[in-house]
Amino acid sequence: MQHVVVDPITRIEGHLRVEISVDETSGTVTDAISSGTAWRGLELVLRDRDPRDAWAYIQRICGVCTTAHALASVRAVEDALGISIPNNANYIRNIMAATLTVQDHIVHFYHLHALDWVSPVEALSADPVKTAELQTAILNAYRLDLKVPEEVNTEAYPHDFPAATPQYFAAIKSRVQAIVASGQLGIFAAQWWDHPDYKLLPPEVHLLAVAHYLEMLDKQREIVTPHVIFGGKNPHPHYAVGGMPCAISMNDGNAPINTARLAIVDRAINMARDLVNNYYLPDLVAIGVIYAKAGRVDGGGLAKTRVLAFGDYPLTGYKGTSSGGYFDNLLIRSNGVVEDFGMGVAKARFTEVTAEDLKAPENFTEGVEHAWYEYPDNVPKDLHPWQGVTKDKYTGPKTGTPTMWETLNEAGKYSWLKTPKWKGKLCEVGPLAHYIIIYTKAAKGLLPEPTWAEQMMLKQIEAVSGVLGVPAEVWMPTMLGRTACRCLDAQLAAEVNKFFFDKLIANIKAGDTTTMNEEKWYPETWATECMGVGLYEAPRGGLSHWVCIKDGKISNYQCIVPTTWNACPRDDQAGHGAYELAMMTTHVAVPDKPLEIAKVIRSFDPCMACATHIYNAKGEKLNIISTDPYRR
Amino acid sequence: METRESLWEAYLKRGFSRRSFLKGCVALTSLMGLSTDMFSKVVEAAETKPLPVVVWIHGHECTGCDESFIRSGAPLASDVVLSSIALEYDHLLSAACGAPFEAHLDEVINKYNGSYILCVEGAIATKDSGVYCMSGGHTFTHLLEKAAKGAAAIIAYGSCSAYGGIQAAKPNPTGSAGIERFVGGKPVVKVPGCPPIPEVMTGVVMHVALFGTLPPLDGDGRPKQFYGNRIHDTCYRRPFFDAGMFAETFDDQGAKAGWCLYKLGCRGPETYNSCGNLRWWQGMSYPIQSGAPCIGCSNSNFWDEDPFTNRLPKYGKLGDADKIGTALGVLTAAGVVGHAVASIVQRNSRDNLIDEEHKE
Repeated sequence: MQHVVVDPITRIEGHLRVEISVDETSGTVTDAISSGTAWRGLELVLRDRDPRDAWAYIQRICGVCTTAHALASVRAVEDALGISIPNNANYIRNIMAATLTVQDHIVHFYHLHALDWVSPVEALSADPVKTAELQTAILNAYRLDLKVPEEVNTEAYPHDFPAATPQYFAAIKSRVQAIVASGQLGIFAAQWWDHPDYKLLPPEVHLLAVAHYLEMLDKQREIVTPHVIFGGKNPHPHYAVGGMPCAISMNDGNAPINTARLAIVDRAINMARDLVNNYYLPDLVAIGVIYAKAGRVDGGGLAKTRVLAFGDYPLTGYKGTSSGGYFDNLLIRSNGVVEDFGMGVAKARFTEVTAEDLKAPENFTEGVEHAWYEYPDNVPKDLHPWQGVTKDKYTGPKTGTPTMWETLNEAGKYSWLKTPKWKGKLCEVGPLAHYIIIYTKAAKGLLPEPTWAEQMMLKQIEAVSGVLGVPAEVWMPTMLGRTACRCLDAQLAAEVNKFFFDKLIANIKAGDTTTMNEEKWYPETWATECMGVGLYEAPRGGLSHWVCIKDGKISNYQCIVPTTWNACPRDDQAGHGAYELAMMTTHVAVPDKPLEIAKVIRSFDPCMACATHIYNAKGEKLNIISTDPYRR
Repeated sequence: METRESLWEAYLKRGFSRRSFLKGCVALTSLMGLSTDMFSKVVEAAETKPLPVVVWIHGHECTGCDESFIRSGAPLASDVVLSSIALEYDHLLSAACGAPFEAHLDEVINKYNGSYILCVEGAIATKDSGVYCMSGGHTFTHLLEKAAKGAAAIIAYGSCSAYGGIQAAKPNPTGSAGIERFVGGKPVVKVPGCPPIPEVMTGVVMHVALFGTLPPLDGDGRPKQFYGNRIHDTCYRRPFFDAGMFAETFDDQGAKAGWCLYKLGCRGPETYNSCGNLRWWQGMSYPIQSGAPCIGCSNSNFWDEDPFTNRLPKYGKLGDADKIGTALGVLTAAGVVGHAVASIVQRNSRDNLIDEEHKE
């Protein structure tokens, strides 16, 4: 048995450490721990602030999924204050959310994840002529054109198309050659390039992917221009409680949003669709087919047992989440939990998540058994976010010193992440969960009158199953399936973008330019005490923000974020979280070069800073809310 | 045998012409905010200086600065990372991880001792010996100390690294601070912003990379060319301020017409940054242009100068005599007087506020 530590895990957001015990002879991982190793305490910083500013603070949880926390925050505060936002603001927010999803997934695949699958070193033996032929073949075989119904087409031809010429690939190859020859490898330095996994794909796939790595590094910035137009910048665009700050006027050249500004958004949306359809999806499928044929369908972990999503894209300006408005109004109704998908869709069980579930104190909770916190004796083992008691208890590592770790203590506390639970059980979240839930609901007849987006998801799954030649239940709950569903989610989001952009244009045409509901802008109009929850099906999965407002100030703020669901430490009753189980179901070929472990972890797209919770450095008890406001 | 190529050699290897190399140098000269008579020096440096080694480390942060960096439009991030610098250590982009990655860092800082550029993103968590920010089994405090020792230059990217940022806001649970006091007295180039503008980030590192010297800095260590003006001074909405034409809410006629956001809490008048002139995405927009008041994200203590809807000059604590309170108050008064259609009631209440501010 070998104990292997990987710290830091790179090409992620934030600070993550994993430790595994591997049986060298079989390559089986017998135990794995996932530890969030940094704590910033942002939710504590939010206390006593103006709830109208919360989005700005809490957005700084993460600059990679920038916008995600701002959106969940304004939704939570609007739920608490009883504000419904204008249709235009809802459309614009949806465009910003879908824009994030496309851009984030593309950056994840090419810049954070690709180097687990492809290697610049392997690319050196590629033949540029054959690579050009491969590009053509991939486009012929793997372009899955699924588009929005009744779209308004503003582009004359596909502007963003991959080059399939030998000269282009020869130029990329010679650049990579020069870098390798210089010995100064820069970002490519010190990786396990001699790992056998890099031999699975032919050299031409490596060269093609390296070329697209570079192209996407240049193009990802252009996809995200809707954030710059609607929110002024990226990362960290601006929002407003009650709508959006970007006023619309077709009569003012100086207006934040007018025809000229919308034309920029239109171009970015079309570009994102082209990049996903012509680069991302074909590249992903080309790699995926080879892995699936090699029987590499491991790393499923918790996805086989339990997945959770909240659903998203409110169709109109809705009122409230905890009142049910959010769930009544969704383009994609994935709000719920699917259990036992790994046993086949026939045996899988679906449970809906409703507004009532959010309020019930026992449904959504967090525990701290293996996290560096402790709860007082007189409270339950698991607490609802509105009752969030947090008291830090840093216990250091198992071996080493508090400031210099050797190994962490799996029997005790070992992470700054709490352990979130649904009905006392652990869940995996993310695009994979989103797709498993829609697929299961449809199979069980629980998706009456599917929306165009839900239909598209089902068609995507069917198409990928066909290309891979394996049923959805087999390829979906795996490392590969997690990476593949993220790509499908990007394709979907690119069309969602277009859908809401067309709606925005139609609404403005009809004479509605309102972007803000300012009825409850001033604190005098607020209830003395109120609580709210904001949901968002973020790029990494179901995100929830929970806010308590008292006398015009934030009295408690909690986030249960996707990476907390996935990267959480174990629970003695509920078992392992998604990262740990995924590692424990992944075969490791070379224990001291655990590329597969890094790969399966990155298949989740970790966002560690997101997983933050509050702590109190003095060790005092914080944020005890003794009564549940919705049960009062 | 390893050779470190210069930018010119890199161009040669890629089969580019001298002409395109010189065009690249023109772009760099203007990007770095240098006057055209510096052009020959840029060319000289690009011809002869080896590609600089860059080490990029992360403390308490959100990776937004890294993300901003890769959004740079000119130069493109791919060109910077692959042709202009050797980015040997970066948690976001580096292929490697774990022990070999940490060993590589040690190798790099030994091999290029005294010549590498250290970029720091994120604050340093100082409380309880730094246990709140661990990486590679060590505290970030340890890493910063180690990496700073042999650095030729240190760039503090973002408001967290420059001043402590969001985690240092009240009650600052982790004892977070800017890095300046923890780098053994070396000068730090501060590039504040949450995040900084992409081209400002690439511009600063290219300046250090090409010249091997720090760009001209102001008293606070910020590059003068990017932080020399208040956003207010270069804001395209400034004429509306001067004319006393203000948006009163986020969606009134003034907001739609793109009038001044001062009354909605805009911090442009106290914020030194390039949002007004460079803007984001090479001139496309900045928060004010998109209708959102500036929150002053490049100011040292802006997170505790909330609520953001409260307007100036209640906040703003500039160190010099060029006080917002005085200068701005006069200007505002002029603006309000000049705005002939302003209602009497509004004007009276505004003038009262300005008087109060003067007393502060």
